[in-house]
Amino acid sequence: MRPLPPWLSSPRVVAGFAIVALIGIAALLAPLVAPNDPQEQNLVSTLLPPAWAPGGAAAFPLGTDSLGRCVLSRLVYGARVAMTVAIFASLGAMLFGAVLAHLAGYCGGAVDWIIGRAVDVWMSFPPVILSLILMVGLGVGLRNVILAIVLVDWTRFCRVLRAEVMVTARRDYVAAARLVGFSHWRILTREILPGTFPLIITLVSLEMGIAVVVEAILSFVGMSVSADQAAWGQMIADARLSLYEAPWNLVFPILAIFLAVLGFNLLGDGLRGTLDVRLVEAR
Amino acid sequence: MNLTILRLLAWRVIVALPILAIVSALLFGVLRLLPVDPAAMSLPPTATVAEVAAKRSEMGLDRPLPQQYLLWVENVAVGDFGTSIHFRRAVAGLVAETLPATIELAVLAMIIAAALGLTGGLYLFHVRATWREPVADLGSIVLLSIPEFLWGLFFILLFGVAVPLLPFTGRLSAQFQRPVHTGFLLIDTLIDGRLDMFRDAFAHMALPALALGLAFSPAIMRVLRSSLLDVYQEEYIAQARLRGLSERRILLRHAFKNAILPTLSLMGVQFGFLFGGTLLVEVIYSYPGLGNLMVDAVRNADLPIIQAVGLTYCVLVLVINTAVDALYLVLDPRLRPG
Repeated sequence: MRPLPPWLSSPRVVAGFAIVALIGIAALLAPLVAPNDPQEQNLVSTLLPPAWAPGGAAAFPLGTDSLGRCVLSRLVYGARVAMTVAIFASLGAMLFGAVLAHLAGYCGGAVDWIIGRAVDVWMSFPPVILSLILMVGLGVGLRNVILAIVLVDWTRFCRVLRAEVMVTARRDYVAAARLVGFSHWRILTREILPGTFPLIITLVSLEMGIAVVVEAILSFVGMSVSADQAAWGQMIADARLSLYEAPWNLVFPILAIFLAVLGFNLLGDGLRGTLDVRLVEAR
Repeated sequence: MNLTILRLLAWRVIVALPILAIVSALLFGVLRLLPVDPAAMSLPPTATVAEVAAKRSEMGLDRPLPQQYLLWVENVAVGDFGTSIHFRRAVAGLVAETLPATIELAVLAMIIAAALGLTGGLYLFHVRATWREPVADLGSIVLLSIPEFLWGLFFILLFGVAVPLLPFTGRLSAQFQRPVHTGFLLIDTLIDGRLDMFRDAFAHMALPALALGLAFSPAIMRVLRSSLLDVYQEEYIAQARLRGLSERRILLRHAFKNAILPTLSLMGVQFGFLFGGTLLVEVIYSYPGLGNLMVDAVRNADLPIIQAVGLTYCVLVLVINTAVDALYLVLDPRLRPG
């Protein structure tokens, strides 16, 4: 039997992947998994406790919110928003940031200077504030949330990757490739990118966790998806108003956000340990 | 050494000016994308079209965008950030009232984050290569996965609702009349010698500061651990061992002093992020700071406030960066001129 690839033998990667996959499947199959319509209001049965608590109803496994909407169904549909944002925002930020980082690190000189100053300007804002301001300008909606996160978080990729590109570009095999007369494009894509790719994968995984948090923050203050879509931050904002009557309603979205972020962080940390050549060599 | 720091400060101010100019231009541009008319918003709904037009020209909105921007910069330079559309008050005053509250909270939170982060980092390093390492490491990842507002909500459930120990709304209990000297409540209560009020203000800050501190400590832990691991590869550590120094002394006197430098620059970045984190924590704890002002302004599309608060955050980050650089000069002998 062939031995498992190293990234599959890391318990962290497996655990992180399992958590993320679970949330991802729930999000994908939301119409099948959710017991109720997430928007359907039952004004006669508001703020029900979970089904196992006294007074709970079997029809609402995790109870209902202040408008009598099913908490479980809203969690599942909220996972759709969270996962969509996590995937597209992190990939977008990665593309944008990685391209600029490779240009800056490989070309050096004026290109590096300009990109470096752009990062400085961006970094002079706390990311949460910048994304909030962008949402004010762009207006609410799923696509704009993704765009706002891409426009804020590309710097996270750019800063870290630029240094990595510079280290890789100084390696002997890159110099050799240059001497052989390969084009810049070929050197960047065939020689340098394979060296920086493990770091890119790790950063994407960590960024997905960050994107989940940012989406939750934006939807908490009502600046994410429109109000007719369930989102975890919105559920928290709603549950906060009936804190004493239904503390449960606050617990579930908190747990959902925590689990999603934990999953992405475990995945990212595990991948860093198994993909980073230098870490593996040092063992 | 003082001269070097002064030169650094001067250089920082020179660099900060173009950054501020670009940031403010970006801010101005982004917010003009909004499909709202600040002039119409600041008038009663019964206003006639002519009144709105008059207001528009009064606010300079009928001029081209670059001119509007220059006008805004001119006013900002003399401390005039315009008038809030929603509160109908000078924005500069609103910011001046809320800024100390946020700084106070963020500084307390940063002290907590640094204390937890440094001890946690030393502990993570201490348990390396033992059976406790994977457990401690996993613990740090779990901590890393809990953002500040989740801690905040969790503490409200725990210490506010389940076991009511600490207050979780506002800055001061209702029976106290707030003293105003510097705007920093912890300092103002001490100036007046009101220890009871100081305790009350501190109790109000405890939960939000702890939530922020806990959320920002794991990154510090992990960077300190990895820089300690790097430092231990250096020859002077082996040499200190050969000289027969105790492991404790090597760690605290030799390794820690060098490993703290990369940790410090991360803490600078974290401090800036922490100001962003105060936004939601302030909302959750109804804490009257800059973050609450910002969120209110966003909900009301109150452009003058959003611009002013955005710029304030930017200045805060630039000040922190400068302070960290200056601290670096003090701590790193290699950077001092001979």
